[in-house]
Amino acid sequence: MARALTERRIDWTGIFFAVALTLVIVFPLLVVGTWAFTNVWRYPSVIPQEFGLKFWYQTLARADVWSAITMSLSLATMVTLLSAIICLPAAYAFARMDFPGRNILFFSFLAGHAFPKFGLLVAIAGIFLSLNLIGTFWGVVLIQLVGTLLFMIWIPVAAFQSVDRRMEEAARDVGAGPFRVFWSITLPQAGPTIAAAVLLSFVGTFYETEGAWLIGAPQIRTLPVLMISFINNQPVIQYGAVLSVLLWIPSFIALLFARRVISSGSFARGFGA
Amino acid sequence: MTTTPAIDIVGTKKSGRPIGLLLVAAPVLLVCWMVIWPIISAIARTVWLPNEGSGRSFSLETYAFFFSDQYSINNLTVTLWTTGVTALLLLLICLPIALYLRFAKGRLAAYVQGLAIFPMFVPSIILSYAVIRVLGPNGTVDLLLNSVGLPHIRSPYLTPWGPVIGLVWDNIPLTVLILLSGLGNVSNQSIEAARDVGAGRFALLWHIILPRISNSILVAVSFTVLGIFSAFTLPYVLGPAAPEMMGPFMQRTFRDLNDPTNAITQAVIAFAFCIVFGLFYVRSVAKNRAP
Repeated sequence: MARALTERRIDWTGIFFAVALTLVIVFPLLVVGTWAFTNVWRYPSVIPQEFGLKFWYQTLARADVWSAITMSLSLATMVTLLSAIICLPAAYAFARMDFPGRNILFFSFLAGHAFPKFGLLVAIAGIFLSLNLIGTFWGVVLIQLVGTLLFMIWIPVAAFQSVDRRMEEAARDVGAGPFRVFWSITLPQAGPTIAAAVLLSFVGTFYETEGAWLIGAPQIRTLPVLMISFINNQPVIQYGAVLSVLLWIPSFIALLFARRVISSGSFARGFGA
Repeated sequence: MTTTPAIDIVGTKKSGRPIGLLLVAAPVLLVCWMVIWPIISAIARTVWLPNEGSGRSFSLETYAFFFSDQYSINNLTVTLWTTGVTALLLLLICLPIALYLRFAKGRLAAYVQGLAIFPMFVPSIILSYAVIRVLGPNGTVDLLLNSVGLPHIRSPYLTPWGPVIGLVWDNIPLTVLILLSGLGNVSNQSIEAARDVGAGRFALLWHIILPRISNSILVAVSFTVLGIFSAFTLPYVLGPAAPEMMGPFMQRTFRDLNDPTNAITQAVIAFAFCIVFGLFYVRSVAKNRAP
């Protein structure tokens, strides 16, 4: 058996991958983290001359940082809210109802994924130009809303389908109305997965950069857009580092919740594997 | 997953039909208006140009301009080059990782898997910043080389290799996951059977494993091509100013040069180069999922 052979051997391949990936993936992020807590780090010292929170105070005192945080949070909240309002009922209908064209409409949400994303954004921008939506809050909301549709419909559909139908039927048998059944039986069972989809779409929207840059700039400045301008024009390195750490917080929250979902094979299958 | 026949729980079968359509109407209309219509309109407005008179007439002028303009061709070439190099590097890096994860167990394997998936939780803008800090001029690598008395590296920042490094980093998680999911279809029995008849590691990989995961490899490549061909943030921040990749090129033509017609022409050309990968990718996703 293969297992017996590998049992006592030192896993050199594993050690190689672990070291290489730590160097390539963790190390660059540690460098950014170190810069964020550095007051003075002059070339060619290998470690910073002075650690401290000086640049946290300075970054958080900047008006453009706060307006970008507010803009990012309100955009992500609005997009997630609108997405939940239009997608969750649709997901319920796809999971439970029969109507003409159900399959083709279900797969229509894949349409946007058959094209390179930025090309599609440029094509949409061409239409927004004549609608005067360029440089407006609602233009960015619309373009980010489209990006959430696939997740917000496909994941909840799977959630609704996995609800135990016998419990619903039992509730109906003892006289519960359709809304009571939905509220007391269906929603509690599908809830956690739907919450994960909502979280994913919030975080995804928060980091959406291309649409915000192409449609919104320069009037609509989200955190990632501000970060681009810091990278291009800001000589003080620490501002970008502090902003990176701030920017990473939503992703960290998503990481805590989504780990289990992603490790399971169903996630990769959703990407066509 | 199999298609389960929908049983109505809201209302009767008859009244369920219009209600169902009504419930899905909003997102479906949004897809029509924001995905399907822009693509049709993009093609229409780039081949149906305003003419000398008051109307519009059929013309391939903007496409002819793109393919006769050396700068546009350079941009297209560097995009194709980046896409090819990135896809190749991704396969060379991710296939060994996926193979290792398929057969290894225990804590070390879990750590490797965790690290391979981790970039999914790092937004590409933070990644760009990290690449500049580490590999940029006077970055950490320069610091370390300098401290042991070695000369500076030739920084990939602002060269075509900058976006390649960023895009490979960014795409590792999904490529590993897709390949790993494909490797799940290779049964232990078939591998042990091949070993029993004396197949070496390489023969095992070439004759048993690769044929069985060829579809997953194609899916991973399609996904990568679609993502990279019009990538914007990483090439814009890490790449050279000229030649630029199609993403930044379209953005600059649209916003800075204020020339939507040529920007949309570039977008349609990007669609044309990706259409085969796009259709293949969408077909594979659809095959795995039934409503």
